[in-house]
Amino acid sequence: MSRLKLPPWLVLLLPAIIILMAVVLVPLVLSFYSSFTAYQLTRPDSLTKWIGTFNYRKAAGDANFWWAFGRTVLLLTIALNLEMLLGLGLAVMVSKVTTGQRLLRTAMMFPMMFSPVLVGFQFKFIFNDNVGLVNNALQSLGLTDVAIPWLVDGHLAMFSIIFAEIWTSTSVFAILILAGLYAIPQDPVEAAKVDGCTPWQSFRFVTLPFLMPFIYIAMAIRSLDVARAYDIVQIMTNGGPARRTELLWTLIGRTAYVDARMGYANAMGYIAILLSIFFTIYFFRKLTAARSELGMGV
Amino acid sequence: MASNAEHRLRKRLLRIAHLTGLFLAMSLICLPGLWIVLNSFRPTVEIMAKPPVWIPNSLNLDHYRAMFGGVGEGGVPVLTYFRNSLIISVTSTLVALLVGMAGGYAFARYRFKGKAALFVGLMATRAVPGVALSLPLFIIMARAGIIDTHFGLILTYVALNVPFTVWLIDGFFRQVPRELAEAAEIDGCTRWQAFWKVEFPVARAGIASAGIFAFLTSWNEYALASQLTRSVNSKTMPVGLLDFTSQFTLNWGGMCALAVLMIIPALVLTFLVQKHLIAGLTFGGVKG
Amino acid sequence: MAQVQLQGIVKAYGALQVVHAIDLDIADGEFVVLVGPSGCGKSTTLRMIAGLEDISGGMLRIGDRVVNDLPPRDRNISMVFQNYALYPHMTVRENLGFSLKIAKRAEAEIAKAVTEAAEILSLTPLLERKPGQLSGGQRQRVAMGRAIVRHPDVFLFDEPLSNLDAKLRTQMRVEIKKLHQRLGTTIVYVTHDQVEAMTLADRIVIMRDGRIEQIGTPLEVFETPVNTFVATFIGSPPMNLLEGRITDGTVELADGTRLPIPPGHGAAEGRAVTFGVRADNIMPVGHALPPTAHMADVEMEVQLSEPLGTETLLFAMLAGTEVQAKMLNPRPVRLGERLRFQISLDKCHLFDAETGAALRV
Repeated sequence: MSRLKLPPWLVLLLPAIIILMAVVLVPLVLSFYSSFTAYQLTRPDSLTKWIGTFNYRKAAGDANFWWAFGRTVLLLTIALNLEMLLGLGLAVMVSKVTTGQRLLRTAMMFPMMFSPVLVGFQFKFIFNDNVGLVNNALQSLGLTDVAIPWLVDGHLAMFSIIFAEIWTSTSVFAILILAGLYAIPQDPVEAAKVDGCTPWQSFRFVTLPFLMPFIYIAMAIRSLDVARAYDIVQIMTNGGPARRTELLWTLIGRTAYVDARMGYANAMGYIAILLSIFFTIYFFRKLTAARSELGMGV
Repeated sequence: MASNAEHRLRKRLLRIAHLTGLFLAMSLICLPGLWIVLNSFRPTVEIMAKPPVWIPNSLNLDHYRAMFGGVGEGGVPVLTYFRNSLIISVTSTLVALLVGMAGGYAFARYRFKGKAALFVGLMATRAVPGVALSLPLFIIMARAGIIDTHFGLILTYVALNVPFTVWLIDGFFRQVPRELAEAAEIDGCTRWQAFWKVEFPVARAGIASAGIFAFLTSWNEYALASQLTRSVNSKTMPVGLLDFTSQFTLNWGGMCALAVLMIIPALVLTFLVQKHLIAGLTFGGVKG
Repeated sequence: MAQVQLQGIVKAYGALQVVHAIDLDIADGEFVVLVGPSGCGKSTTLRMIAGLEDISGGMLRIGDRVVNDLPPRDRNISMVFQNYALYPHMTVRENLGFSLKIAKRAEAEIAKAVTEAAEILSLTPLLERKPGQLSGGQRQRVAMGRAIVRHPDVFLFDEPLSNLDAKLRTQMRVEIKKLHQRLGTTIVYVTHDQVEAMTLADRIVIMRDGRIEQIGTPLEVFETPVNTFVATFIGSPPMNLLEGRITDGTVELADGTRLPIPPGHGAAEGRAVTFGVRADNIMPVGHALPPTAHMADVEMEVQLSEPLGTETLLFAMLAGTEVQAKMLNPRPVRLGERLRFQISLDKCHLFDAETGAALRV
């Protein structure tokens, strides 16, 4: 046989690599290129109009961009941390239940099945100031008699978005942490009790270190998919009111499709991509570190 | 040091707090979804009523009738969207599974240089936000003439799902002891036969759950679909949801009905695989 | 240091009762071993003493306190687990000092206690390692070290040696015994291995199906077992049991062989009984210990022999039952060879065939 013999692992990985190249890598190269041009969707010839780092410089000087950037990082930080804490709490509560655990586990996964765009509409509906569930309930209970403008006021809108984001994604944490709780060997936990730990101390010093790899898996999974939040925000407020909930992703979408300024949008897109990849790699590293800390899988 | 009685009391209080907390958390998780389902059966006047109507006094199937009738309230071609969603999700899932199985097997069974880097590299492609990817993808697909086709979206979703299926399937193959395939080879199988006759059946349940996970991702995806589809040719249900919105009004009832149609398959599938899914994610990640 | 007292301790899971009203008094400084087959409730009992299982009924005292509802941390005990239960994310030093750190002791005091414990168990060179880098025996020693640093009232051991290989097990057994002699702390030790029980215990508690069968010193339970269960569980090889009936003041076996009733035992004429004799007390003539006051002899056909060096274990048939016997100063034995065996009746036992209870008078 004269044909080139590739190592079997490469043959097996080749389809994956080719598809990802075609659908992700090549477009990214194109967008990288176009981010140095004045490309406008409506004027295809503008793709060749080289303008150097103009778009990046423009983004760097664009207050709207930096607000969106800061807001995105803030949203991710708040949401991921809260999701982790709530997920941890939920998982611990479910793990302590003796009967009906299977049912609880299934119910817990409920929000994961919802399309993010659906979640967006759902909460747009629920937080609607006129017919929404929240205001209806508050008014019926006599807690307030005004319609609270959940999605119209800037701060409240941000709160509503974070609420929706947490609602969908807490279960990812809860499910994985629950799996971690099941996987924990009971002996060290009992040893901690005998060693004089209060329940809180044995959780803090023994259970939690064991859970860290699971928490980082959840973080890594979430960071892979963190832009799901785009769908929610786009539906709920589309960056409004008056850009008070504008995130990087909504800004990019608007710049590209509404303003048709592709080159500029791609420049900002690149920054968003790097941000995402940074998060992903960060959590994968943390995961590896947490694993070796416990002496797992080395 | 507290007395026995005090400890008993504390235990009981903790138990009450535990159950209350659990009840509240579960309500928060379940209520929004249930509210959507409820509203899909309520007439629009009742949804919009002020003061609110808490106890529904007329439940009916009007929204569903309108939805499937394709006439009346906006005339959204739900069935077409449903068919598009189904074709695109199923095809992309199957392809992603095949590609993912090959890749996952390579990661689980072979040692090679740069494995860890390649793995993270694959994962990182998944981290690219849909909006950011949709711009260049839109340009390329427009040039290639596959905008607003099933094929374009299928290709995109395969790429979207491959990193995750590789991760999950890698985890499942790791759980299958290497000796199993070796034993099969000694028993006279080729490597290929050993894979299909021994390793694949053992990891099958896990692979199925990876498939369902991929299916759900495609089924629910919006950011890319909203840009890469234009018409009833290829619009999927998440994009179709927007048909219920117009400049100033929202047809909540109709939207809820479509939402229910979207949720049901997802609900059933998730329920089927929940156990394997958790196992796959954690095995893949923890036992690295 | 403290005594431990169990009064009518019950453990039930719903309707299923797994420990039935156990009474046990453990004196201060005593080494008590709970032994029995798996599922006999010994571990559950130990875990109730530790506070890791709720007590369903009865009263548990450690020292002079009733501790039924106290959490483990308030019982001042320490425990060595079967799987060592080391904290994988902490170094050996941190593992050893963990309980003292939780108790908010001063740094200097912790360091001193850890050094001391490491010294006793020769762990000093391993202090900075993590459990993952230790061998089984080393982990076992860390687990023990962790138990001793806090100077508890009671040590609890839950099958601590069952994961070690045979050689290491013997070695650790000696270390545990030495540790007890040195510290003098009350120890409750659970094992399914009767050799461990015999060698370690001041008193052995033999359990079966959630009940205590017999409590006594190793020699007591070996020499005067209260029933056939204890008789076969304690001692290796297990005691031979021969079914028979009292006929004319002798024990008549199924094939008509008659054995005298062992001294100190008695049963009514016609009663179904079990005759018990250990391998050490039934030996071929010429290869036996000097005869005692009461002897009997039988002829048996040898089916199998296991040479062990200084002695050979013979498997022979008597009245349809396989009997194990020992041969001192062994010579080669042919299969099927018929030998005369002498039985030291003073060391034999008679049990009721139905209840299994010893028939002592």
